[in-house]
Amino acid sequence: MRAAMSADHSLSETPVPADTPRVSSTTQALYPSPSARDRRALLMRLLGTYGTIIVLASMLVIFSVLQPATFATIGNFRNIINDMAIGTIVAAGLTVPLVAGDFDLSIGYVASFSGLLVVGLLSSSGLPIPLAIVLVVGLGTIIGIVNGIVVSKIGVNAFIATLGTGTIVVGLNYAYSGGIPLQLTQSREFTNIAIGRIAGVPHLVIIMAVVLVLLWMILNRTVQGQHIKAIGVSPESARRAGVAVDRSRIVAFAIASTCAAIGGVLMASNLGSGQVTAGDGFMLTSFSAAFLGSAALREGQFHILGTLIGVLTVAVGNNGLAMIGAPIFTQFLFTGCLLVVAVALGGIGRRYGRG
Amino acid sequence: MAQAMLLSLRRISRSFGGIQALDNVSLDIAKGDVIGLVGDNGAGKSTLIKVLAGAHDPTSGDVILEGRPQKLSPPAEAQRLGIETVYQDLSLIGTFTAAENFFLGREIAIGRGPALLRWIRRKSMGDTAMRGLEELNIDIPGIRSKPVDRMSGGQRQLVAIARGAFWGHKLLLLDEPTAALGVRESREVLDLIKRLGAQGLTIVMVTHNLDHLWQVCNRVVVMRRGRKAADLASSATNMEDVVAYITGAKEPMTPRPATTEAGA
Ligand SMILES: Nc1ncnc2c1ncn2[C@@H]1O[C@H](COP(=O)(O)OP(=O)(O)O)[C@@H](O)[C@H]1O
Ligand SMILES: [Mg+2]
Repeated sequence: MRAAMSADHSLSETPVPADTPRVSSTTQALYPSPSARDRRALLMRLLGTYGTIIVLASMLVIFSVLQPATFATIGNFRNIINDMAIGTIVAAGLTVPLVAGDFDLSIGYVASFSGLLVVGLLSSSGLPIPLAIVLVVGLGTIIGIVNGIVVSKIGVNAFIATLGTGTIVVGLNYAYSGGIPLQLTQSREFTNIAIGRIAGVPHLVIIMAVVLVLLWMILNRTVQGQHIKAIGVSPESARRAGVAVDRSRIVAFAIASTCAAIGGVLMASNLGSGQVTAGDGFMLTSFSAAFLGSAALREGQFHILGTLIGVLTVAVGNNGLAMIGAPIFTQFLFTGCLLVVAVALGGIGRRYGRG
Repeated sequence: MAQAMLLSLRRISRSFGGIQALDNVSLDIAKGDVIGLVGDNGAGKSTLIKVLAGAHDPTSGDVILEGRPQKLSPPAEAQRLGIETVYQDLSLIGTFTAAENFFLGREIAIGRGPALLRWIRRKSMGDTAMRGLEELNIDIPGIRSKPVDRMSGGQRQLVAIARGAFWGHKLLLLDEPTAALGVRESREVLDLIKRLGAQGLTIVMVTHNLDHLWQVCNRVVVMRRGRKAADLASSATNMEDVVAYITGAKEPMTPRPATTEAGA
């Protein structure tokens, strides 16, 4: 018994932490080294940090060369920005739970239902516009809070939980509409929300800017944002430091769902009607945008500015394809490929960046 | 014991299912003690630390803090009482700066109410963290600008311990502060612990490196199979004895009711 012990004072219980190689790869990336492995790591780090911006810049160049007269015009870019405004609001909202480390698959369905519901409330109940909007957006917030509670307090995996709540929202949508689009019976005022301009700037663009600034401030300037970022990196460390992890996750889901509902209302205003599935597509495009954004400037971290760059990338791609007369199916191919590329780039950023 | 006791554990037991992780452990921690907690794997060291940190409730036994019975859990309660813990891993947020980590969960902010409406005062957090680290003679570049996962393991540990010392005005618990550090980095971390001890901070530190014990601790507590096998002044013992207590070659000298016989 004694013999077994005498050899060593340091009865090592714990393995060397896994981050040792990570630290060395970072330092190696800073000092050019002859080894091919380091060069690869540096390349990967660059891809993870600038990948999306490279994709965006390449598309801008290619489409400008192919269609200088139509694509590379100020008017076209005005259109792109205006068209991407609603998607940006939804995607920026999704970014918040992503920063916290949670997926939200319900946002598209929440957007669809919100659009339909606001039209329904305005047409049938004759509610004043502001009240109808507050009710619908408030309902979005509540759905988000439910998502957050199911995920954090009950402990259901976020993927499954939000797929579940999302499907319930689809059910509510059909129960309310019977699966039939609702027409806006009155109110130019309502459509003017999305279509109007102030000093030549479309309302949509202004609302997008306000939402982006607000979300950026929440994430980067408030205690809540600090906690959301912390739990996205390490919930256990955050918990030990005294962060209210569950509450932060709930707030993050609530923000995403609120933004989805705002997006749905704006979409209805833009269309002038309530379509049953019009917002469903926001789920995929928002994830594409957010993942693309995570490979923009921040080495695999989700962030608001990144998501804006991501949405712009998707929008420029789709617009460019339409401009060169590519058939509709190519847009789906493009969006699908972009999602895969985006997730890959974000993953590369996380693996080869600071980790 | 007439000395001012900071915290006393009285016959603390803690079991997990059938496993008795702590078995009737009593421990008096005097103000200013720097206690080295050693023992073989599974001896109950981490469980003891977690009881002190408020992360585990004892199954039975009492905790007396400054003369009064006290419940330490949940961890936030222990923290409120001035007991801070530096876990071996999972203590810092890698993408945050040292200053941000210092204040995580206790941010300096403008405004009241929900966290969503409280505005972080980054500058003031940075200044305070800088001052805190300066006071401890910790010189690390980029306290307010560099994410801690860009720092070396030793620098990270210095930051984590400094944070613990900054908030833990009564008791600082360290679980293997030098594990996985190189010789020079261990040196720096031990120097910091020594300085904190010299300032009068009470510290309980788990370690596997017996050399480190004599460098910083005034007391050695040996755990074995959930029991306290020895509680010695480090000046009154030596490596060989401590190893003997760890392995069980030497039996506890404290009178335990049933067993008085020494092991062979
Ligand atoms: N959360 C837990 N659940 C079940 N058993 C545990 C738990 N924590 C510790 N134990 C058991 O208690 C005993 C003491 O563990 P621990 O305090 O971690 O020892 P040490 O830190 O000295 O290696 C071990 O047998 C361990 O398996
Ligand atoms: Mg342990």
